[in-house]
Amino acid sequence: MRALLLAALWVHLASCVLLTGAFFMLLLAGPPAASSARRWDGMVVAWSRLLVLAALGSGIVWLLARTAVFENRPHAALEARAVWRAALDTWPGLVWLARHGLLIALGAFLAIRADIAERRNWIAARGEGLALATLALALMSGSSHAAAISPGTVWAVASDAAHLMGTGLWVGALVPLVLLLRAAGREDGADSRLYAVRAARRFSRAALITMVLLMGSGVMNAIVQVESIAGLAGTTHGRLLLAKLAVLVPILVLAAVNRRHVLPGLADMGGLATGPPSPPNARRAPGNPGRSSNRPIMRRLAGFVRLEAGLALVLLALAAAMTLTTPARHGDPVWPLPFRFSLDALLDLPATRWRALLGSQLALLGLVALTVSLLVRRRRALVLTGALALVAIGACVGLPPLVVDAYPTTYRRPLVTYHAGAIAAGMAIYGEHCATCHGATGAGDGATSRPLADLRVPPASRRHAGELFWLVTHGIPEGGMPDFGSRLGEAQRWDVINFIRALGAADGSRRIGREIEPEGAWLIAPDFTISVGPLAPGALRDYRGRRMVLLVLYTLPGSLARMMELARSYNVLSVIGVEVVAVPTQASPEAISELGSSPPVLFPVVTDGSADIAATYRMFAPGPHAELLIDRQGYVRAIWREDLGGMPRAAAVQSQVEKLNEEKSPPPFPDDHVH
Amino acid sequence: MPVWQVALVLNLTFAVGLGLGYAGWGRRAEALDREIDAARTQVERLERERQACAAGARAGEQQWQGRGVVRAVYPQLVVITHEEIRGLLPARTTGFRASAPALRDPIRVGDAIRFSLRGTVADDAALVAIERW
Repeated sequence: MRALLLAALWVHLASCVLLTGAFFMLLLAGPPAASSARRWDGMVVAWSRLLVLAALGSGIVWLLARTAVFENRPHAALEARAVWRAALDTWPGLVWLARHGLLIALGAFLAIRADIAERRNWIAARGEGLALATLALALMSGSSHAAAISPGTVWAVASDAAHLMGTGLWVGALVPLVLLLRAAGREDGADSRLYAVRAARRFSRAALITMVLLMGSGVMNAIVQVESIAGLAGTTHGRLLLAKLAVLVPILVLAAVNRRHVLPGLADMGGLATGPPSPPNARRAPGNPGRSSNRPIMRRLAGFVRLEAGLALVLLALAAAMTLTTPARHGDPVWPLPFRFSLDALLDLPATRWRALLGSQLALLGLVALTVSLLVRRRRALVLTGALALVAIGACVGLPPLVVDAYPTTYRRPLVTYHAGAIAAGMAIYGEHCATCHGATGAGDGATSRPLADLRVPPASRRHAGELFWLVTHGIPEGGMPDFGSRLGEAQRWDVINFIRALGAADGSRRIGREIEPEGAWLIAPDFTISVGPLAPGALRDYRGRRMVLLVLYTLPGSLARMMELARSYNVLSVIGVEVVAVPTQASPEAISELGSSPPVLFPVVTDGSADIAATYRMFAPGPHAELLIDRQGYVRAIWREDLGGMPRAAAVQSQVEKLNEEKSPPPFPDDHVH
Repeated sequence: MPVWQVALVLNLTFAVGLGLGYAGWGRRAEALDREIDAARTQVERLERERQACAAGARAGEQQWQGRGVVRAVYPQLVVITHEEIRGLLPARTTGFRASAPALRDPIRVGDAIRFSLRGTVADDAALVAIERW
């Protein structure tokens, strides 16, 4: 089914692209006067009729195949009700209807064999064809990957539509241009050679503008749909994009050769006065550039453009395949190289900083020289060679210090979120399997013959979560660490990694005191479930962007006085934007009634799952009673520990809340997964 | 008819069709959605009124069901952290008037309960039944 979908999509995309380009090329060339040019015009229109049929046919096959995919039943493709549902009840179906309506209108318009001898009628007929074909092509972005991007859907769709239109205008026009050049290159095409040269020159200029549009929109699409180098190199979608770029390079080389070397030779022929003069250094066609040498040059140009068009069709096949793969930003990258570059490596080896600095400056100089080589004409080859050499030397000098080990899972997204439940589970697994060697606190002071790396601090804490996952899964045979891939499930391994990250965070949390630091939003508060009795549970992250949270870890009876004070001041705290969430250290379904009824405790008191929350947050704030102020973004900003300074006072908490309320530029929301 | 006029008419037809389509069909669809929502709300309200009527309520009164945890008990008021009460309140902590003092006798702070409210709006809704969850 996937192969059928790909084939149908490729034929459909190629048909729509060729349709758009055909009418664009006809309009660029202008109304034909010579008989061979008129024949070409008629042939392109006749092909367009067939392309409309191909687009409609492949579009129907695509809809049937999509129906089977939607319904998850191959037979659904042949059931009228299922196809009806797919067309009317899904967004891609509605977009399909609109696009195919436009294609039918285009087909009907082309079927009318009206008299278009008059210039304005000819322009109206070809212009209408271009408008309908372009609209049908550009609307494809309405149901593409770009339409699923949120936020920023409008920009993503606009960029994708611009990319499609650019493809149609450039790639689609190559085939009719080949037909025109071949027609003009024949013995009986002499009357249309001037017309063909003018059309080729106009196309060359238009293609340059279209290429800029394509590159700009392509970069935008890559940014929103691929997002990262890991996505580009490590996912099917990203690799297809790389393949597209690889095919694009020879196309651009051919286009540049045509524009700089072949086209100027054609432009000077036959006393053609239109267009700018060819550059002085442009190589002329061998032999006499007079009218008698028109045909070989034209045939050569036609050959090059045909090659360009052939490669462009491969490009469209890759684009169709990209449409059917999961966008790289949602994929799980499999890093293909045994190394990666990281600036963190310089933090661990300060002695190599000068080398990286020198290399970067050389490469920068090379890039400046590269830009200069594009602007100057004298000694361009020399400047270009020097520029490339500088970039290469800069890379050779500056990149090696940045190399760090990498694994296939380096950029894998954790399966489990950074949640108190996962951290508590990881704590238990760590205690059972890891603490013997790595020590109870991860300091590397376990019962091994030699000390291991401290997991809480760099460089171990700077490793990507995906790298830790690889090492936990496969072990480090040379270091004596066994593999846990066969002993622990994948979720359990991620639990351990969440716990190791929490160990590092706990080590750093000692820097957080009772006063808010202006730039102190770095300690991510692990999410947890707030279960009050048998009611539907909430979560800490539900408060993000809305309210601050004062997380109170309490132990009765020692905390009772402070809990009563909190109950009395809850109204005030609530008004200034704080929700109080109380978590008993001893899990109990009677937690609410244990706090008594006077004064009434109206804030959430966790009655289920408090053990996990307490175990996790005790890593940041040990002791029988502690309070953590979590800002609206989800970062722990102040910690009050009973064993360090006694119980917090209501006024002290409120003054810190006021400070948070006055913060002008809050930090971004933290990710739900560790990195 | 010259082709340029045909093209002009075709484009105008598309533009006008799109405009009228949105102005007519799109707005009508929105209006129908609103009407369906209003009718659904009306049906739910009538169902609550029917339940209230069957339980001996006055005309115009409705009855709502809810689930929650008792947070405080006062002589005339019971404070409950409750789930969403459909057609009345979102999930939150609310103080409800007890229609009879005896209702609050068997409950204490921390109890999980199911309760029934009766009234015309949220402000006059009073507890008419409480049972342990």
